[in-house]
Amino acid sequence: MKLFRTAFGATLLVACLGQPVLATTQNVIFNGTISPTCTLVIATNGTMTVSPDLQTLSSHNSGGSAGTVTLTTTGGVSLSVDPVTTTTVPAADTTSTTWTPTYSSAGAHSIVETGSATAISTPGADLVSVHLAGTKGGSNRFANGNYQATVTLRCE
Amino acid sequence: MKFFGTLATVLAVSLIPAAAAAQSMSPMRGEVNSFTDVFAVRVFPANPYDQKIKVEIHVYDQDFQPVDARISPAVFQLGAQASRPVLVVVPFGGAAERKVRICTESIPFPNQQTQIRAQICGKFFGHRKS
Repeated sequence: MKLFRTAFGATLLVACLGQPVLATTQNVIFNGTISPTCTLVIATNGTMTVSPDLQTLSSHNSGGSAGTVTLTTTGGVSLSVDPVTTTTVPAADTTSTTWTPTYSSAGAHSIVETGSATAISTPGADLVSVHLAGTKGGSNRFANGNYQATVTLRCE
Repeated sequence: MKFFGTLATVLAVSLIPAAAAAQSMSPMRGEVNSFTDVFAVRVFPANPYDQKIKVEIHVYDQDFQPVDARISPAVFQLGAQASRPVLVVVPFGGAAERKVRICTESIPFPNQQTQIRAQICGKFFGHRKS
């Protein structure tokens, strides 16, 4: 009886060794939705210098510099600048100035300098250069003193 | 068990600022159905800088004219890499639907000759249901 039991057990074990392990799989689904997003990080403000004829105060002039902003986006957004409404001029400057903000971009999206809105459809990061130019017409000239202007860079 | 609890807390805390730093305002799009004369949107402005900044929230219509919305809070200081919720309640003004822009604005480096105001605007569409 003992021999039979041992033989039976050994046979069963050998038979079981050849069987594959039964396993089940189940998929786990992950969903994610990203709506358009935009980050603007201002790196530097700009500097304007006056032209030799004193009729242009601009970041394009010699010695001037653009403001720089890092843009990171998923795409599906629009980049633009607003007309300049906030300025501070010296008391000696009593004549009108036309302010023209512009921007350009280098990086994932190349935008040639423009003052109009630009649609950005693809994701990526860019360095945006923001320029500002103030001009006077006729015989008007920029005066001695401190000028300050605010450019609004919008991502929407 | 205590170790895993602590690990989960550390992971959660470390993920919060990473998410907040990833954008300046979220969401930037939305549609809201409302059964009242107003609709509400909750946005989360974020400060991506390593310094405290002053943040202003403004609501504009499609022509960028100011909208008389209730904003809580409208002006606040936001710490470095931080984010906070802002509740905006927009009146329909008698219309059946209204499109507005909710904008997060800041001048992180004031007192410069040419300063840049960064403005992140989200577009939101409110539908009034009867």
